[in-house]
Amino acid sequence: MSEGMIIFGAWVAAALTLFLFSFLYKDNPFFKVAEHLFIGAGMGWYFQTVYYKIMVPKILEPLNSGTGFEIAMVIIPSILGLSLITQFIPKISWISRYGFTFLMGYSAGMAIPVGLATDFMNQVLGTIEPFANFFSLSGFEMFNALIIAIGTVCVLFYFFFSVEHKGVGKKVSNIGIYFLMVYFGASFGNTVMARFSLLYGRFDTLVNYSSAKYLYATSWIAAGLTLFFVAEKLVKTLTKAESAE
Amino acid sequence: MKEIMHKLLKIDRRYLFVLLTLSILIPIIKPLGLPNKSISKDVQNLYNFIDNLPAGSTIICSLDYDPSTAPELHPQATAIVKHAFKKNIKVIVVTFIPGSTGLIDELFEKIPQQYGKKYGEDYVIFPYMANIVAVLTQMNSNIYSIYDKDKDGKDLKSMPIMKGINNYKNISGIVNITGTAILDIWVAYVGDKFGVPVLGGVTAISQVGYGPYLQKGQIKGLLGGMKGAAEYETLINEPGKGTSGIDALNVAHLLVLALIIMSNLILVIFK
Amino acid sequence: MKLFKKQIPLAIVFVFGLVTLASYYVPHRTSEEYLDVMNSWENIVSAFGFFLGLISLFYAHYNKIKRKVDGWGYSLFVYIGFLLMVIPAVYSNGKQINPDASITWLGWAYRYIYNPLQATMFSILAFYIISTAYRSFRIKSLQAFVLFVAAFILILGRIPVGQMIWDQLFGFTKVTTGQAIDWVIGVPSTAGKRGIMIGVAIGAIVTSLKIIFGIERQYMGKD
Repeated sequence: MSEGMIIFGAWVAAALTLFLFSFLYKDNPFFKVAEHLFIGAGMGWYFQTVYYKIMVPKILEPLNSGTGFEIAMVIIPSILGLSLITQFIPKISWISRYGFTFLMGYSAGMAIPVGLATDFMNQVLGTIEPFANFFSLSGFEMFNALIIAIGTVCVLFYFFFSVEHKGVGKKVSNIGIYFLMVYFGASFGNTVMARFSLLYGRFDTLVNYSSAKYLYATSWIAAGLTLFFVAEKLVKTLTKAESAE
Repeated sequence: MKEIMHKLLKIDRRYLFVLLTLSILIPIIKPLGLPNKSISKDVQNLYNFIDNLPAGSTIICSLDYDPSTAPELHPQATAIVKHAFKKNIKVIVVTFIPGSTGLIDELFEKIPQQYGKKYGEDYVIFPYMANIVAVLTQMNSNIYSIYDKDKDGKDLKSMPIMKGINNYKNISGIVNITGTAILDIWVAYVGDKFGVPVLGGVTAISQVGYGPYLQKGQIKGLLGGMKGAAEYETLINEPGKGTSGIDALNVAHLLVLALIIMSNLILVIFK
Repeated sequence: MKLFKKQIPLAIVFVFGLVTLASYYVPHRTSEEYLDVMNSWENIVSAFGFFLGLISLFYAHYNKIKRKVDGWGYSLFVYIGFLLMVIPAVYSNGKQINPDASITWLGWAYRYIYNPLQATMFSILAFYIISTAYRSFRIKSLQAFVLFVAAFILILGRIPVGQMIWDQLFGFTKVTTGQAIDWVIGVPSTAGKRGIMIGVAIGAIVTSLKIIFGIERQYMGKD
């Protein structure tokens, strides 16, 4: 790839980035174009990956040069897959059920053991394990183990006995809410950092593209966009004044 | 006064946008350069895990992030790969999301040369695969039944790095950097099921949700967001985009806190 | 007809569901081979599933163009964006890097079109965080206050300046920001999340069983 193409690339990238950001000022044609490109490019990228990384090695190559068994192992799922497309033809859309039921059966069968082991059994174990050697823990660890156990039970209580909380039950599920609030608060705090990091990433790239090496791409495009908005506003005010006259 | 304050609460949000832009943009152009002191326990654990592996061991790096989370996760991946190379640990790269491949290429464009590492001997990149569950299960019996070629279609079995590698028994650990729920799948299908140590690097958003897995030891160490990357860079003594990123966030974080407190105070004082 | 429309599909769910479930627990060569085959099938069927999404997107925008609805011109850019990825892919045969380590046209399209579009789309959310924080983060109850305290510790403690402020304010406790954050995430927040996790796991298991036994069949559509 020539140096020129890389500089051109920087201009394209800076333009697309600023077009999308221009939405923050207000909706405008530049944003709309970039937004639609985003949808198309996302699909295009996915399409070429599926084609070159799945269709070619997993379907087309075995069909071309595989044994009879290998070909059958491609044709059966391909038929199931093709059946999904009948969704678009109302009269025979029921055929798509064959593809869907296969996917559902497979994923339901996969989900049960994993949910059971990883998110249920292991979590219960993780909560009670510290109590197996409770008195060999430090005071702080004991405290933490107790907090985790109490918190987990209260949250579960809040979820599963949510019909009508009265008396002790109400207190327990209330405590549960406080633990949930800590979780949500911590998540919100971290979300702030996450979102700002992404913005930092874009700004960092834009600053990079504003250097002489890229022929000041960011600066020129930002200036162009500003000019557009100013001109648009001017035209609007002028036509308003005219019609008022 | 009350009126002005209430008007201030309903201020055009574009002013807030300008404030945020300036608060991040200015520190990028003129860094504050404050030292990052704290190291979280989960980051330290991940560092120790890699640091204590004997030279010549092999780890799998599952790099499953795309441009939408790259500013947080790319620095994490960079720091971990650098650390592994420093300790002469071999790296097998796998990926399960389509948008990651370009970033993986970028990652390995320069770093291997810096550490004198060769493709096929010290590291290798496997092709993208859909359906992660299938691949993870199959790799337990035989890696080559699913991966027979590398990302460019070269034969894997004949590469020096793959000598003696057949399944998870030959792998010392798995580091999954991801902005998706793929880490959960590594934990469930490989960590919990086959007992391979799983470590992670995730976005700050999902970091908090991994508390239970960390407490139970289902994940042995974790980097969270840009701060996690900055901490790891501190540990390996190679400041990079994580360190400069967290530096740029200083003002913006204070801005958010100031806005929350200010708006609530206005409501309390000028009811 | 009912046999083909209903009973066979339900039988498929039941058989594949149960056998897949059993294969997790049966450490036998046959169950491994079964999973091998199922996994590669699933791979192929899902690939076709992607085409389903692609066709419906294209169809929707095709209709907009055909009917010349407001802003139909923008729909053209969906196709242009698609081609901007696919044409270089065909030209570079799906490869992003040349043997001499330079990027191909596909690599270029990724770096300068796909990457900035996707990254910017997601980064815009940062602006909404700031306006939400100012306009909707209201501390009106004790519960909201607890939420705020947890958020405050994390937002402040993540940045170097925050660590300095923290040391000034709470230095006497000898607790660092790192320790405070580790505790918040590792203890009370873990309890909250674990409660959710166990709850969701139970829900998922029940739903999966319902699907396998044909009690839950909404995904099949009507009739």
